[in-house]
Amino acid sequence: MTVGEEQAGTDTPPEVLDGPFSTRQLLRIDEALRLADQGTGLVFSVFVGGLDEPIREHAQRLHRQLAEPDKSVLIAVSPNQRRLEVVTGRYARKRIPDTYAKLAALSMAGAFSGGDLAGGIINGLDQLASHAGKG
Amino acid sequence: MSVTETLLVFVGIPAAAVLVIAGLAYAGSRGSGGGGGGGAKRYRPGRPFDFTPVWFLGRPEQLADSAGTALAAGAQAPALTSHKLEQASVEAPAGGTGGASDRW
Repeated sequence: MTVGEEQAGTDTPPEVLDGPFSTRQLLRIDEALRLADQGTGLVFSVFVGGLDEPIREHAQRLHRQLAEPDKSVLIAVSPNQRRLEVVTGRYARKRIPDTYAKLAALSMAGAFSGGDLAGGIINGLDQLASHAGKG
Repeated sequence: MSVTETLLVFVGIPAAAVLVIAGLAYAGSRGSGGGGGGGAKRYRPGRPFDFTPVWFLGRPEQLADSAGTALAAGAQAPALTSHKLEQASVEAPAGGTGGASDRW
């Protein structure tokens, strides 16, 4: 291993590459998140990993950890438990009513059941952001 | 035909054909995974999927956590540390949130 390779290894955290996504998918998700944040003024966040029972409460605790929970939308996906939670804060809920969150969740679950994690997340973000409109 | 020839034709040739096809199928399944590297893992519903949890934020500084400063160092997709998972399991859930749940 050369010195240059070692430096590249420290710049990017290796844990991310142990995650469920390839580099290209990571870039697409990052772009989708950025566009959703910029377009709506809300803060979108995606968690992919195991959720403890009760799953809804765990997702809400994660949501609470964000800097501005009221303005935030968290999409929590647990591939092994095959569960999906969308959590919207107090203010975000006015922009994205629960019925529309359910609609986006339905389309994401459809993509996930086909094995497409990244595609489902990107489509779900797009749906939620386009319904929230400009902030 | 002698016994050796019979064996060669009716056992040897089919066996060779099976091996060639199996080899091609194996090479194909390895190559089609991800267009060069990192494609071995793929999520299939119902099968266990081993990966490190990740938490994506549009702006990494948005996490209200002391460890959040480490996330701003350039990670677009910060992995969740066990510290944060522990903290998340201690804090009480917030009220007034909405959203939806689904399963597949």
